[in-house]
Amino acid sequence: METLIGKGEKRIDAYDKVTGKGLYASDFDNQFPNMAHIKAKRSPYAHAKILKIDTAEAQALEGVLYILTGQEPGIDWDQYPKAAVLATDRTLWAGQAVALVAAETEELAEKAVELIHVEYEVLPHVLDYYEAIKPEPAAVIDPDYETRDQGFQDRPADRATNRVSPNIVGAFYMNSGDVEEAMAKADVTVEGEFWVGKKTASPLECANAICRYDSDGGITMWSNGAGVHGVIKQGICRILGMKEAYVRVIQPYMGGSFGSRLNPYIEILTALMCLKTKRTVRFTFTRKEVFCSAPSNWPCITKIKLGAKKDGTVIANDYYLCEEIGAALNNTFFSGRLSSSGAAPCYRWAEKGRTSNMRMDTYAVSTNTVPAAEYRGLGCPEAEFGIECLMNRLADELHMSPVEIRLKNIIDNGERNCYGELITSIGLKKCLQAVADEIGVEEEPVQDMGVWKKGRGCAVGGKQNTPLGRSEAEVWYNSDGTIQLFISCDENGMGATTAMTQIVADQFHVPITAVRTTKGDTAITPYDNYSASSRTTYNLGNAVLAACNECIAKLKEEIARHFGLHPSKVEIEGTTAYLKGTYVQEVNIPSLFVPVGMFTQGNWGLQQGTPVKGHGIYCPAPIHQWDKNGLSDRVWNWFQYSAAAVEVAVNEETGEIKVLRVASSADTGNPINPKLVEGQIVGGVHMAIGFSTMEEHLYNENGEIANCNFSDYRLPGILQMPKNEDVHAFINPDALPDGPFGAKGMAESITIPVGPAIAEAVYKAVGVRVTGYPMTAERILALIKEKKAKEAAK
Amino acid sequence: MYEEKMRFELTVNGKRQVVYAHPSKTLLEVLREELNLTGTKRGCDDSNCGVCTVLLDGKAVKSCTMLIVQAAGHKVTTIEGLETEKGLHPLQQAFIDHFAVQCGFCTPGMILTAKAILDENPDATEDEIREGLHGNLCRCTGYKSIVEAIEAVRDGDYGDYVINWQEV
Repeated sequence: METLIGKGEKRIDAYDKVTGKGLYASDFDNQFPNMAHIKAKRSPYAHAKILKIDTAEAQALEGVLYILTGQEPGIDWDQYPKAAVLATDRTLWAGQAVALVAAETEELAEKAVELIHVEYEVLPHVLDYYEAIKPEPAAVIDPDYETRDQGFQDRPADRATNRVSPNIVGAFYMNSGDVEEAMAKADVTVEGEFWVGKKTASPLECANAICRYDSDGGITMWSNGAGVHGVIKQGICRILGMKEAYVRVIQPYMGGSFGSRLNPYIEILTALMCLKTKRTVRFTFTRKEVFCSAPSNWPCITKIKLGAKKDGTVIANDYYLCEEIGAALNNTFFSGRLSSSGAAPCYRWAEKGRTSNMRMDTYAVSTNTVPAAEYRGLGCPEAEFGIECLMNRLADELHMSPVEIRLKNIIDNGERNCYGELITSIGLKKCLQAVADEIGVEEEPVQDMGVWKKGRGCAVGGKQNTPLGRSEAEVWYNSDGTIQLFISCDENGMGATTAMTQIVADQFHVPITAVRTTKGDTAITPYDNYSASSRTTYNLGNAVLAACNECIAKLKEEIARHFGLHPSKVEIEGTTAYLKGTYVQEVNIPSLFVPVGMFTQGNWGLQQGTPVKGHGIYCPAPIHQWDKNGLSDRVWNWFQYSAAAVEVAVNEETGEIKVLRVASSADTGNPINPKLVEGQIVGGVHMAIGFSTMEEHLYNENGEIANCNFSDYRLPGILQMPKNEDVHAFINPDALPDGPFGAKGMAESITIPVGPAIAEAVYKAVGVRVTGYPMTAERILALIKEKKAKEAAK
Repeated sequence: MYEEKMRFELTVNGKRQVVYAHPSKTLLEVLREELNLTGTKRGCDDSNCGVCTVLLDGKAVKSCTMLIVQAAGHKVTTIEGLETEKGLHPLQQAFIDHFAVQCGFCTPGMILTAKAILDENPDATEDEIREGLHGNLCRCTGYKSIVEAIEAVRDGDYGDYVINWQEV
């Protein structure tokens, strides 16, 4: 049978999803008619002292089971995910919970929340980087930062020492080569300061969890959170002190995540309330809560200076970045390192063959806004926006094309990046050429739309793969020849379970429909950390391959033993074994499994009802501690790349942007399933058009998100996407040596170049340089007016 | 609260249903909680995302902002009503074949809206399909594959839509 790798096999979950038969976590409600419901009392103020919480009236309501406040004894809130922390004496963002209620019905829980009376003394707040970073800010989010113990996911080495503001909570410095000397040698320098808005990933299924109290004191959870083993179960065990055998976590179908469900805020609280009430409980966020009380992305402010030679070789990058991480008490893993990694993958920052001249000075800063967490790209779209804008500006100053300047500077396979890491897979030049050719980036568009002015632009993006944690897989070859796969990756919608099943089908030479996959149940399926950092195809794919290899090797040995052959003389195709070196050439494998019977049973050999099992583990090698300059030859694992080119039309009178044509290309390594990859490319482009032109949190005078619903926080719909003939997706793989079949991940990189490509196209269309996104109509119009005023003044 | 229930009759997926519910309950709540039809999803509660879309007398409506009182006496079609003994509805098959499904949370509403579009106008152009889908959000696919799937059904890839499937 022909290989299935590289084939557009149909999704294994599509039937369930088109018929409504597939259950999502929120669909399990009906199975627990007697469950209790959780609702939260939340702070309307971004920063306030809690003077009094009066729960007496709520407590007296019949049907109220439990009221939890931040004052509950025995809880170390430092250990909780930031978004799950109940306010104790101060509320740190508007939307933070001050109390949780469990009641017999949802309506009763809502009523009880209304009956909880909280007295606040409103304090001054800081809502953005510019306010928070001041040496004497209006509010200090964590006054105990210096002395506080480490908390959830913290790393001691990240504790900031040089704090220009008391709101700085993490820092990462990196210095390669000699930036000052290189900058002095540069023929031309460009610099700028760039910002991006704060946004919510907004998967369409709101965060929700059901936690069943089992008869033996254990708990079983169904949630749409990510990482059944590595995030949710481990989190519950560590934070709530549960024994591993007594926690079971099941992930049904997930209505999207885009990184936002990697943070177990709702799961830990639901488990806690389950233990407090000893009842099956359900907690479902409203859409408002998803905005105000679940993690946002983390916006980055960047100040960047690039120095280049006349021929376009960029020889120095002086890079400042600050992540605005919301009301994150304590030090967190958002220390600048993750976002600033985006400055590393694409370019040399030196002449070819020389050491990079790259200086990174990066921080995280707290504000009185919802705590930040993962969102597709992990800060890289935000971190690379400014770099790409400056590359385009540099091309203009040097009268080069934006394609040419990038081709000159993009790092090649076999070179070392600015950290000192060896690049083993990069298909970025081919990606860029493909999209630039498709859109005609180096040609001028015909202006034929009246007040709508057209412009074209391109950009590239790269994203590291964070090498964290094991993936395991189990493959069963059953006695009737059917094959099963057991895995615990997340299926946010990307199609990972299909790709994994495809690998198994390929190895056993059967159609994909012949393999049944069971996923995401900690009592049944083996360990996996989570599906994060676009790692599932790579990490779990390698584990699945290892499990197949073990299963096939065992099966071959059993079959070979039956005929007295060496296992190397056996080949397996589905239910048939092909033999060499004996009088039988072909045998039906299930016929070799002996029935269970007193005359046939034994401790060895193939027996009916007993599958032959293969187990596979894959974990990336550990990283290598960086030196005092932040340099290391292994910080990240591999890099995914993409390029985008767009043609936009900008309305000169209103500032509105329309994306007319878009091309996006991904270096995925060798794709397992190109149709799934295309889906990720087109979907990623659409998502990025949305956050580049429309989406951002806006605040009212209390510091509360004012547009916390889909009427006011507009997500992109179909009309924001160009028509089908104007949407182009290309795959330009460079095989990853350690990837399964040369594959690597890709879903995050797609979003990175879209924003800067649009920014460049806007400049080409109406002559204004944007320095941040979302590029809303009012912002573009203000820039156009400013430009006209300047021209008039001349 | 919600203890005083009223009796409502409606036809759901061709079957007459009698439900007892508080009149302030939405059609979405009744479908999901009383009739166990969880294929209809809940996303935003204010008619913006479209995952709760069902057909009411053949027209696409957002069930999260329609009270059961308003739906009583009408014919409701949910995603569970599309697959028959003949097999999947061609839109369901086309969504599978064209990879128009990722996380799948928008899929039921998307398919029902697509059905309403083609039932009303089996020759709908790409622009008309886009206009018809503008109230249904999808965060995963970028819509290209969704439009391709609907166009494939329109173009007869799954047999003649008007003869075999159009419901007027």
